[in-house]
Amino acid sequence: MTDILAALWGFVATPLSYGFMQRALLVAVLTGAVCAVLSCYLVLKGWSLMGDAVSHAVLPGIVLAVALGLPLAVGAFAAGLFCAVAIGYLKDNSRVKEDTVMGIVFSGMFGLGLVLFTKVETDQHLLHVLFGNMLGVTTQDLIETALVAGLTLAVVLARRRDLLLYCFDPRHARAVGLRVEWLHYGLLVLLSLTIVASLKAVGVILVVAMLVAPGATAFLLTRRFERMLLVAAAVAIGSSVLGTLVSFHVNGATGPCIVLIQAGVFALALLWDQVARRRGAATGV
Amino acid sequence: MSELLVPFAYDYMVKAIWVSALVGGTCAFLSAYLMLKGWSLMGDALGHAIVPGVAAAYLLKLPYAAGAFFAGILAALGMTLVRTRTRLREDAVIGIVFTAFFAAGLLLISIYPTSVSIQSIALGNILGISDDDAFQVVIISVITLTLLLLKWKDLMLLFFDESQARAVGLRPTALKVLFFALLSATTVAALQTVGACLVIAMVVTPGATAYLLTDRFGRLLAISVAVGVSTSALGAYLSYFLDGATGGVIVVLQTAVFLAAFLLAPTHGLLAGRRKARAATETAP
Repeated sequence: MTDILAALWGFVATPLSYGFMQRALLVAVLTGAVCAVLSCYLVLKGWSLMGDAVSHAVLPGIVLAVALGLPLAVGAFAAGLFCAVAIGYLKDNSRVKEDTVMGIVFSGMFGLGLVLFTKVETDQHLLHVLFGNMLGVTTQDLIETALVAGLTLAVVLARRRDLLLYCFDPRHARAVGLRVEWLHYGLLVLLSLTIVASLKAVGVILVVAMLVAPGATAFLLTRRFERMLLVAAAVAIGSSVLGTLVSFHVNGATGPCIVLIQAGVFALALLWDQVARRRGAATGV
Repeated sequence: MSELLVPFAYDYMVKAIWVSALVGGTCAFLSAYLMLKGWSLMGDALGHAIVPGVAAAYLLKLPYAAGAFFAGILAALGMTLVRTRTRLREDAVIGIVFTAFFAAGLLLISIYPTSVSIQSIALGNILGISDDDAFQVVIISVITLTLLLLKWKDLMLLFFDESQARAVGLRPTALKVLFFALLSATTVAALQTVGACLVIAMVVTPGATAYLLTDRFGRLLAISVAVGVSTSALGAYLSYFLDGATGGVIVVLQTAVFLAAFLLAPTHGLLAGRRKARAATETAP
């Protein structure tokens, strides 16, 4: 018994004796929490592809921000918003389906980002932007992430009921006097902010996983929205902590470890859901 | 003038140009169908889901196409399994499965970094493609194109009107399996050219462009393939002057052609629509 405890203690304590691992853990938890809350809305609204689109589309914004000497977050935010607005405009003014328009716009912007990157002198590493650089997070990065994540979380939680009504039933939301356009673009702004907050930790490519899996897992486990938010946040934070620790021990990339653990939790939730349903069917409930 | 001909003096450039053109044409052919069915997310998902297969194949020194194909089929099975068992929306299911596969691929590469670089998987590496890999790409493209040319009318009928297709004696399930097999194979080829993140553009944008220019499916296919071939060849050629980012250049060109069609298309373009609206208000009493 003591052996097991000692091994567990070593599993947790060895990584945490390094400063970079402490920072990585903090940034992973912050990112996980804010993505999890957003993911509940995206899953309900059917906007998973929107998360995918906006996250890829921030790349040219980041490259231009580097070129102009602006903070990366500003460029990323502007590009994410531009992507969302461009998708809305192209969809309203052509006969092409929304999902196709999303694919065209985000891949075009991502491609543009790659081309611009070859022309810009920068100390930013392309792979760090794409996949995050959790183990190289500095204290300043941590503060920036905490600010953006904190702001996003505060806004979402303050307006959680309005956003929920909009996701479930936009017409009803309009009928009770909510400004639906504001909520639509508000949610997109929050999505862009979340992606900006996740840049340092998981990068623009893997963030979409964190924007879908926790919400989908919680969706399987509960039917009440407030509880869904809590379950999603708990799943995401737990996976972030475990993923970061595991990545240290297997000497692998941190972002993918977190995403895989989230997927594993989803698989368990799926199994639980199936068993519960079968038992429900057997007892006639 | 002679400076513009420099790329043709290099074998690797000539190879990159014609291989890209071939892949671009094949992807564009499929894009006509994907775009009509609203399966854009599927193209993106497959592009990411085959990554662990590619990584494992390089690691085990197997042909990469075999690994990719295997992973693609596993992902498709996973998506079908989750979709039939839950109330989750389809986009969330696709989102979870493909990101989990992609993360598994990234983790594999990060643990065994020698097998293949992340950069060439995520962003493609057509300028540095080995003869073996180029050979696989050519075989895949030629087989896919041949089958598509033989079956394009059957597939069209199936996707426009399944009951009619059944009535005339086609086998819908067999055709769908064929279509998805061809799509996975093409994604594998596209992965080599533009990388996992931009596959979606190759299998969506040319079809959408053609859709703005014509109402007849046969012509739509022809325009789509023409756009795919020309943008891919030109993109590979231009990337010589940028020292890389071939995928980015190709996709930016495709997006530019789409935007031009969006503005200028004779009947479905933005300007034509404005003209029509103005004419309508002028003739109205």
